[in-house]
Amino acid sequence: MSTAVAPTTSPPRRASQAELARKAQRRDRIKAWGWRLAGYLFFLSLWEFSSGRLMDETLLPGPTAVFATFGELWQSGKVPGAFATTLTRIGIGFLLAFVVGVLVGMLMQNRWLSGFFKDAVTIGVTTPGLIWALITAIIFGNREAGPLLAIVLTTFAVITVNVSEGIKSLPKDLIDMAKSFGVGVLKRNRHIVIPHLAPFIFTGVRFGFSIAWKVTVLTEVFSSSSGIGFEMRTATQLFRLPEFLTWILAFYILALFLEKVVLEAIERRFFGWRTTLKA
Amino acid sequence: MTSTSPISPTRAPSLTRALKSPLSGRLTFPLVCLGVWLLTIQAVTTIWPFAVDVLPTPWQVAGFMWDEITGNTLAPQNMYETFWISLQRLGAGMAIAMVVGGVIGLAMGLSKSVNAFFNDWIVAILAMPNLAWALFCSLAFGFGDTGPIVAVVLTGVPFVVINVREGVRNAPTDLYDMARAFGVPRERAIRHVLIPSLMPFLFAAGRYAFALGWKGLVVAEVFGGQDGAGWTIKFWYDAHRAYGVIGYALLFVIFALFFEKFLFDRLSRRFFRWRPSANATAEDPAPTDQQRTPQHG
Amino acid sequence: MADIKVENLHKEFGAGADRVVALNDVNLEIGGHVFVSVVGASGCGKSTLLNILSGIETPTNGSVTITQAGHPARAGYVFQAARLLPWRTVMDNLLFVQTDRSEETRRRCQHYLDMVQLGDKAKKYPGELSGGMQQRVGIARAFSTEPDVLFMDEPFSHLDAITARSLRTELHQMWQETGKTVVFVTHDVSEAVELSNRILVFAKGGHLTEDIPMNLPFPRDSSDPDVALAKAEVFRIFEKIGALAVR
Repeated sequence: MSTAVAPTTSPPRRASQAELARKAQRRDRIKAWGWRLAGYLFFLSLWEFSSGRLMDETLLPGPTAVFATFGELWQSGKVPGAFATTLTRIGIGFLLAFVVGVLVGMLMQNRWLSGFFKDAVTIGVTTPGLIWALITAIIFGNREAGPLLAIVLTTFAVITVNVSEGIKSLPKDLIDMAKSFGVGVLKRNRHIVIPHLAPFIFTGVRFGFSIAWKVTVLTEVFSSSSGIGFEMRTATQLFRLPEFLTWILAFYILALFLEKVVLEAIERRFFGWRTTLKA
Repeated sequence: MTSTSPISPTRAPSLTRALKSPLSGRLTFPLVCLGVWLLTIQAVTTIWPFAVDVLPTPWQVAGFMWDEITGNTLAPQNMYETFWISLQRLGAGMAIAMVVGGVIGLAMGLSKSVNAFFNDWIVAILAMPNLAWALFCSLAFGFGDTGPIVAVVLTGVPFVVINVREGVRNAPTDLYDMARAFGVPRERAIRHVLIPSLMPFLFAAGRYAFALGWKGLVVAEVFGGQDGAGWTIKFWYDAHRAYGVIGYALLFVIFALFFEKFLFDRLSRRFFRWRPSANATAEDPAPTDQQRTPQHG
Repeated sequence: MADIKVENLHKEFGAGADRVVALNDVNLEIGGHVFVSVVGASGCGKSTLLNILSGIETPTNGSVTITQAGHPARAGYVFQAARLLPWRTVMDNLLFVQTDRSEETRRRCQHYLDMVQLGDKAKKYPGELSGGMQQRVGIARAFSTEPDVLFMDEPFSHLDAITARSLRTELHQMWQETGKTVVFVTHDVSEAVELSNRILVFAKGGHLTEDIPMNLPFPRDSSDPDVALAKAEVFRIFEKIGALAVR
C-alpha cells in the first residue's frame, strides 16, 4: 500500500466508524431503557400478581384496583380539596421553617450563638418527625398551630445546616478583594455573599421540602379534620386499603414530582455552574 | 490557657472571653429553653386557666423520666424492656436490609442493566414517607413483630443499596492491578483489597440505615405494634398524658444520640484508624445528596 | 536477572472511532543485569507495554515470555502512584505481595524497608507518610519479593525534584547491589540517560523506533560533558520522531 492513497480513503472510513460508535451508544441507551421498562413491568406485575394470590386482596390491592379507586375518589370531588388543604399547610409551614432556618443559620456566624444553637440543630436533625407530631398534637389538639409548629421544628435544622455550611465556605479572598477596592457592605453582600449562599440555601430548601411534606401528612393523621393525612386515617380506620393506598400514592407522586422534577430542574437551571465545580 | 497567667489584669478579658465562648452559649441553651417553657405555662394558664393539664411542667416531665429510668412505670413495660424489644426488631430489620441491599447494590454497581432495572424503584422507595410503610405494614401484617421489621427493612434497603453501589463504583482498580502485577492470589486480594475498600461504604450504610430504620420503626410501632418504644409513646398519647409523651420523646433523643455519638463514632474510629484524619472527625465517605437527606415523618 | 522476549506484540483498545493502537508490532529482547529505559511522549504505548509485560493487560496479538534460567521469572512492579493499601500498615503492605508469612519473609521485608531508610516506619499506615516515603515503600515492596525483573512506571514523576533525585540515586544503588533486570518507563529523557544502559524510544502509534545503547560509566553526573552530549543526542532523536508522529 502506498501512503499517497491513505488520505483519500481514510475520511469516509473514519466517518463510518464514528457512525458505528454512535450506533453503539444508541444501542447502549436503548438497552438501558429496555431494562428500565423491564424493571417497571416486573415490579408492577409482581404487585398485581401478589394481590389476591400471595396476599389477601383486601390487604394488598393491586395497581389496577388502586387506579380504579382513584377514579372513584376523583369523581366524589374530595381529591382537589384535600390536596389544596395539605399543600397550603405545607406552604405556610415550610415558609416559616425557611425563615427560622435561614435566620438561625445567619445568627450562627457569631461564636456564642453558634454554641447556643448547636444542640438545637442536632435535636432538630435527629428527632423523628413523629415525636414532634405527637407532642404538638397533644398540646394543640386540632388547632392549626400544631402542624405548623411540627413542620418548623423538623425542617428548620436542615436549612440551618446548609446556610451555616455556606457561610463557613464564604469566599474570603473575594470579600477581601472587594474590601481592598473599597466596595461597601451592601454591594459586597449583593454581589458576593448572596450569590455564594443562594445554592446552599436552595439545597436546604430541596431537602427541607422532602421532609416537610412527610411531616405535614403525619401531623394530619393525628390531629386534623381535613387534608390527605386525615383521609388516610379515615381509610385505615374503615379498613379500606385501596382508598388508603390511593391517597398516599397520589400525594406521593405529586410530592415526588415537585421534589425531583420541579425543584431539581430549578436547581440545574440556576446553579448549574456549581455542579461543574463539585466535579 | 490565659487564665493561669499570674498577672491579674489579664483575668478580666479572659473571663469575658469565656462568657463569649461557644461553650457558654451551649450551656445557656437549655436554660433558655427551660425559661421559655416556664413562661409559656405562666402565660397560657393566666389567659386560659383550664389548659393546666395540657401543658406539663418541666418538673412533671423530669419526675416522669426519673420514674422510667428507675423502672417504676404505669405503662405495661418499663423503658428498658420496651427499648430492648424495639432494638431487637431494629437489629433484625437492619440485618435483612444489609443483606438484601448489599446484594442489590453490588449487582447495580457491577452491571448497568441491573442498575437501570432497579434504579427508579430504589429512588421511589427512598422518597416514600415511613408513615406509608407503617400504616401499610400494620394493615397488611397485623399487630406483631413482622410489620415493624418489614418497615425497618423497607426504610433501610435504599440507603444500603445506594452506599454499596457507590462503594463498588469507587472500587480501587489501581490496587487490583497492583495485586495482579505481583501475582497475589484472588482470595487474598478479596480479603485485603475488596472488603476493606467496601468497609467505609458499608459502615456509612449501616449508620444511615440505623438512624432512619429507627425512625421508621418508631412510626411502625405507633400504628402497628402491641409493645416496643413506639407503641409506648402512643400509649401515653392515648392516655392524654402530655408529660409522658414529652418525657418519652426525650428518652428517644437520648437513645439516638447515644448510638450516634458514642457507638458509631467509637466504632468508626476503631475501624478506620488507617485514615489520615480519621481520628478528628471520622467523616463518612462521599455522602451523595440522597444519602444526606434526612428522612422524617 | 531475567530474559524477556517480546514477539510481534500488538495491542488495541476500543472499537470504531474510539479505536486506539497502543502497540504496533513490537519485537524486543532484554536480558541480563541491565537497566532499560522506555521513553516516549504520553500516549505512545509505554505504560501499555509495561502492563502487558507484568500481566495486568493481555495483548491483542503476539507473545511475551519472561524467563529466568528456563523457568518463568518472577516480577516486581513500582507504579507511578505508590498504590499502597491505605488500610494496612507498611509492613502488612509488603507482606500482602509475599507468598508466605514466615519469620524469614518478615526479616526480608524489614531488610528492604531498612534499605529505603524506612526501617522504623513498619507499623505506620501509608496515610501517615509523605509522598516520597510512600513511593519508597513501593520500591521496597517491589524488591521484597526478590524478583528477577523489576518493572517501573514513571515512579518518580509525582515527586518533587529534590526527593526524586535522591530516590533515583537510591534506586540505582539497589539495582547495582542486587543485580536485577530493570525495565523503567519514563517521559524524562535526562532521567533515562542518567540511569540506564539502554534506551528504547517509542513513537506515537506504538512503534518501537529506536534502540539506543548507553555505555557511559556509572555513576553519571548531569554536569559531565559526556552525559550532556548523550542527552542532546537522545533529544535530537526524540524530536525527529516527534516530527514523524505529527505527520
